Amino acid sequence: MRKLLLIGNPNVGKTTLFNSLTKSHEHTGNFHGVTVEEKGKLVNLDGEGWYIVDLPGLYSLLPFSFEEEISKNAILNNKDLNLVVCDASSLRRNLYLCLQLKELNINFKILINNYSYFKKHNNSINISELNRFFDAEIVDAKKCRFDKNFLKFKKIGLNLTYLAQILAKIKEKIKKSDSEIIAALNGNFAGFNPQETDIIKAELPALIQARYNFIDSIIKSVVVLNKNYVYGKSKLDKILLKPPIMFAGFLAVFFASIYFIFFLIGPFLSDTLVGILNFLLISPINNFLYSAANNIWIIQFFSEGVFSSINTVLTFLPQVCLLFLFLTILEDSGLISRMAYVMDDFLTKLGLNGKAIYIILMGLGCNTMSTLISRNMSEKNLKIKCALINPFVSCMARLPVYVLVASAFFGNLTYFVVVGLYLLGLLIALIMALILNKTILKTKSNNMLLEFPPLRNLDIKHIGVVVKTNAVDFTKRVFGVVVSVGVIVWILTHTNFKFAYTQQISESIMFFLADKIAPLFAPIGLNSAGVVCALIVGIMAKELVVSTLSITNNAQTNSALISSLTLAASPVHFTSASAVSFLVFILLYCPCISNIAVLRKEVGGFYTAFSIVSQLTIAYLTSFVFYQSILHGIKFAAIALIIIFVILLSIIYLTKRIKQHKCLTCNKCKR
Amino acid sequence: MSLSEVKLNTDCVVKEINIADEKTKIRLMELGLILGTKLRVENKSVLKQTMLVVFNSSVFTIKTDVANGIIINYA
Repeated sequence: MRKLLLIGNPNVGKTTLFNSLTKSHEHTGNFHGVTVEEKGKLVNLDGEGWYIVDLPGLYSLLPFSFEEEISKNAILNNKDLNLVVCDASSLRRNLYLCLQLKELNINFKILINNYSYFKKHNNSINISELNRFFDAEIVDAKKCRFDKNFLKFKKIGLNLTYLAQILAKIKEKIKKSDSEIIAALNGNFAGFNPQETDIIKAELPALIQARYNFIDSIIKSVVVLNKNYVYGKSKLDKILLKPPIMFAGFLAVFFASIYFIFFLIGPFLSDTLVGILNFLLISPINNFLYSAANNIWIIQFFSEGVFSSINTVLTFLPQVCLLFLFLTILEDSGLISRMAYVMDDFLTKLGLNGKAIYIILMGLGCNTMSTLISRNMSEKNLKIKCALINPFVSCMARLPVYVLVASAFFGNLTYFVVVGLYLLGLLIALIMALILNKTILKTKSNNMLLEFPPLRNLDIKHIGVVVKTNAVDFTKRVFGVVVSVGVIVWILTHTNFKFAYTQQISESIMFFLADKIAPLFAPIGLNSAGVVCALIVGIMAKELVVSTLSITNNAQTNSALISSLTLAASPVHFTSASAVSFLVFILLYCPCISNIAVLRKEVGGFYTAFSIVSQLTIAYLTSFVFYQSILHGIKFAAIALIIIFVILLSIIYLTKRIKQHKCLTCNKCKR
Repeated sequence: MSLSEVKLNTDCVVKEINIADEKTKIRLMELGLILGTKLRVENKSVLKQTMLVVFNSSVFTIKTDVANGIIINYA
């Protein structure tokens, strides 16, 4: 098996090309840093296996962020072929990476993407002239097919005159071979002592200048550029880049979308889907079971354990699709870079930077995915901070819980409760960022260098593919995780300690165990065994909360579940106060087990443990404040908030004192 | 923390680059902001604000450190 790497600057169309070549549906977007990990697929061509790999974008072999490090290592370790994807509009900058590859004798071919856009603005590239220097061709990443042409590489010798001069200068000071010095100039300092490393680093500005002078000599004869052409600039930017307009516009569009998705068109689509599901699947199987099976537990196992899990969660499929439609439009349009720019000053005050807005927005879809995106931060503390605040952003898996529980208790106010939960999650994430920045994770270097993509017309076909992919993923999750865990929950809630089937849920193993923990949740009004079961299962995945509630309350449809939650006779029931407490707890505690696993991989065991403990503590304290305030009035809320504020200030003060003390004793700074 | 500064001549061509953080300076240069580059400030930004600049026919958002944005001085 041979390896073919797709490399290049961020947002040039590598993943689009990967999707075309491998017939995949990997996540793409009109934003810098959408791909943050290596993704590969095996493709067969004429009996030979090719492992095609899509890498995160990188501007240079001297990595600036964590995802660039991944790409750099993959490129240096690849013994086979590389395709460098370049954007026609920024060929000059794209050739910089190509020149570094030439210096290291790495075999590659250039594919120039987005040429039609470039040409439309009265610019052109003379490809035959470019072929004198590099093996290059113009492609449309969306329409490429993997065939033998992709593997035809021409080796073109390039006389890198500037390099000889720099090498000669360095060799006056360092006794190393040319290849070792070239490797060091491209970020591989193995075998170099600190003094030698400093000598190499001191030459970098001159080398970069020389590389660009060399590139300019090529570009001069290759590219004809319209004088007024500016890639990434749009007439709409005059309006969009005004912070109040962007901020208010985003909030208005987002909350209008939530209303549209969950309260206007979503319920209609859900009802239609439920009808189809019942008609085609659930009713026929139920009828069959009632006529064929003579054992009540078999009938209940399927109707409650399996079908109610599917029914209650899968009915949210239309809403999930609409939410991803909203996020995909945002990503594809090029608005995210503009939001990052507009929000940068505000987020910097909290110890984040503008790029964090992308992590927050992706968190609205899936916290696990957005935790991975924290890799595109350039500084370690910034990356950890983004990963730690991300779970407080409400992901789409929590939405079914909000909608079901809120509509059971708040009727017409449900929409405002859902919006309030979103805002509460964002507020706590931002406060958490501020506290972390003031205590254990102070941002050391908060630079933000971001290239603006142009505002693009929406590609309906691409949006359709993304929505379909997410719909399939959600359905797989429902049939995989939700049903399998739902079955386990059903067994545990219908089996007693004699391992016999019981219809009395209160006699079951699950309820016995949950009942022992339940008193811990009494101060937040959630001391019922059924609720505790749902919260425990919810750590696995938030979709499971609704299915657990439906199993414990023996509700096969959402409307049956909604009415059962208000009945005191149901195993799981709430009051208005405990419903709010439950929703707040769901919003703020661990999103899912996969998020914990990704956190561990990205920020290590210590910060993962810290994250879990802080999420549980914050969820508990906030639920406590809400629950007790509803019971005892606004005075209680005010006193509780003051106490929490004082505790937070004390923590910040104490951490600063401890740090100062360490600084005076450890001598690290002086060194 | 020292100030970050990019000095331009009267034709808006970069004459001097002084970025406090060396890693950021190298990355800015790798993005094409080298001596002799024609640079235009889009948002007329002042100290402590994220800059929106145009160079080499591309738009960039630039902020170089926590304390400061980047000062563009017209020499």
